[in-house]
Amino acid sequence: MQSRRGFLAGLMASSMAPKATWADAGTPAFLAAGKDELDLFVIAGLSDTGQVLFRHPLPGRGHAASAHPTRPEAVAFARRPGRFADVIDCCSGAQLARLEPPLGHHFYGHGVFSPDASVLFTTENAYETAEGMIGLWDANTYARIGQFPSGAIGPHEVLLRRDAPGLVIANGGIETHPDSGRAKLNIPFMRPSLSYLTLEGEIEEIMELPAELHKNSIRHIAVRGDGTVGFAMQWQGDPGDEVPIVGLHRPGHTPRLLAEDDPRIRNLHGYGGSIAFSGTETQIAVTSPRGGMVQVMECSTGRLVAEHHLPDVCGLAPTASGLLASTGTGAILRIGPTVAHLATAPLAWDNHLIPLG
Amino acid sequence: MSLLSRLTLTACACVALGGFARADALTDAVVDGHILPTYEALASRTAAFAEIAQADCAPTSAPLQAAWGRAFDAWVAASHLRFGPSETENRAFAIAFWPDSRSKTPKALVGLLRDADPVIATAETFATASVAVRGFYALEFLFYDPAYATLATPDYTCNLIRAISRDLAANTAAILTDWQTGFADSLRHPGPETGDRYRTVEEAHQEVFKALTTGLEILTDMRLGRPLGTFDHPRPNRAEARRSGRSLRHIQIQLAALRSLALLLSEGDKALTEQVRHVFDKADRHAERLSGDPALAGVSDPQKRFQIEALQQDIRDIKSLADTGIGPKLGVEAGFNALDGD
Repeated sequence: MQSRRGFLAGLMASSMAPKATWADAGTPAFLAAGKDELDLFVIAGLSDTGQVLFRHPLPGRGHAASAHPTRPEAVAFARRPGRFADVIDCCSGAQLARLEPPLGHHFYGHGVFSPDASVLFTTENAYETAEGMIGLWDANTYARIGQFPSGAIGPHEVLLRRDAPGLVIANGGIETHPDSGRAKLNIPFMRPSLSYLTLEGEIEEIMELPAELHKNSIRHIAVRGDGTVGFAMQWQGDPGDEVPIVGLHRPGHTPRLLAEDDPRIRNLHGYGGSIAFSGTETQIAVTSPRGGMVQVMECSTGRLVAEHHLPDVCGLAPTASGLLASTGTGAILRIGPTVAHLATAPLAWDNHLIPLG
Repeated sequence: MSLLSRLTLTACACVALGGFARADALTDAVVDGHILPTYEALASRTAAFAEIAQADCAPTSAPLQAAWGRAFDAWVAASHLRFGPSETENRAFAIAFWPDSRSKTPKALVGLLRDADPVIATAETFATASVAVRGFYALEFLFYDPAYATLATPDYTCNLIRAISRDLAANTAAILTDWQTGFADSLRHPGPETGDRYRTVEEAHQEVFKALTTGLEILTDMRLGRPLGTFDHPRPNRAEARRSGRSLRHIQIQLAALRSLALLLSEGDKALTEQVRHVFDKADRHAERLSGDPALAGVSDPQKRFQIEALQQDIRDIKSLADTGIGPKLGVEAGFNALDGD
């Protein structure tokens, strides 16, 4: 008798096969990279209450991931300077493809699918020239099909615009080279930015902060329904300098820095890890693993409205009513007016919680 | 059941019980032997300072300055305990707003003095003033920088000093009261009965361990790192409390406080205790060597600078002993993300 797995594999291989959907993978609500109890690295799918629905091994430490909009496929990116991005079939656990950056490039750990799911965009460092690049991959065959400049050094997170077709990219501004590990080579001259590109790579707008904030590396972003981009920064200047960590930007407008005069910003230790709008989009939150802290800010007033202590917190994603956070101690927590502990996995969750759908 | 497995079971039970008992004893020792006495000293010395200020509020008064100095010492000894009651209502910031990279304290002080701002009239209104003008560092400008002496009438300056001293006394008393009436219990007895502020003994240990590493980081990055700047660009004007010549003193006081905490956390491990003593002794010796330079002006002098850098390295060594020795003893690991985010 044919095994169920063999039968399914045969079915999948046949052209008559019904297409698998995310429901076949248990309808995960989030993806997250992590490290398991044997110190092995994994990518996992989580339910909306933080239960682990599946997990698959990765060859090294992951960072973020991208979920294919319709097919149950996750692309798990290595953290920078990353040499792989594994495409995982989230039903069978099979590795469908391994993306390797072209010679002279490494990944930064983030990517996004085009709205029609035909192309995967990845952030890359062309390290011999220190040029920030966006790699293009065929989202069906996962073959490399092209690339274009991101507009600045150090493109980190990339997301789709929601006010127009196009990409928004957080360019951290920091030059690194694999020969020097994670050493930062250009701090005195760094120029972080948000760049807005068409899907064809034409630069439409570049947002830079005032010169006195040029050491505030713009690393992670979230996009609201109206196209407003929330950005989280990591301060590369002197420890103890009082600097904003969160900002909001609408293309064509001046950026707003949030909670700038609130002394509690110091509790973030100059380091924004992940950023997310709340489900209702009236608030924006930032995590700081160094401060063991989540801060929630009100978008309309820019005021800091809540702080939550969570050791080694980093991942953050919106839920229908609020936010979900993950920690390096394996916890998944719901953040509303109070914090509710939902689940603990025997895993250390890495930087990001990626919402699906 | 074999004898061997029975022995193993017994051994496990002992280890588990021993571990639990020691855990409670450790938190108790830190709360009773370190945290409460530290906040008691801060509250009583700040109250004494506020009392003196009611009678004698001339900014150049030696008894007033001495009482301020005793209270400030007590704050520095508490400055690594940045959790719980010291965070409530931004109390720690209101007591001590430093570092002040945007010069908010001098700017806000000048504004208050020039306008004779009535915000100082009552304790309630003053509690709404910017945290930058409400603490020890604002008083340092008033006491030690002559530029502030003539910005307002002597009466206004006097009333401002009284307002700050009352506010300091109220804040430090509130921190102590909160510790005594609930927060200490939530740390000693983690779990739902105490509101789940800490859910497990491990979380309580993590909090007190973090206080130690936070204090060490404040020393290397702030109290030493900010004035050191870089070799090509030293920043002597960033030394903490340099106007009153207290920069080095603060480092020594904080080292003493952190030594007491580190010894409590190492209790029961003789070899580790010895190592803790050794690394703190070395830092103390190197700090003592700087005694001719109370405001750390030597950061700009290549000959003296290396001695200040040596002290900074000593404190980094203490931090690595904390991470590799004390943390593992307590079962506390450096965070997966905190250690090396992206």
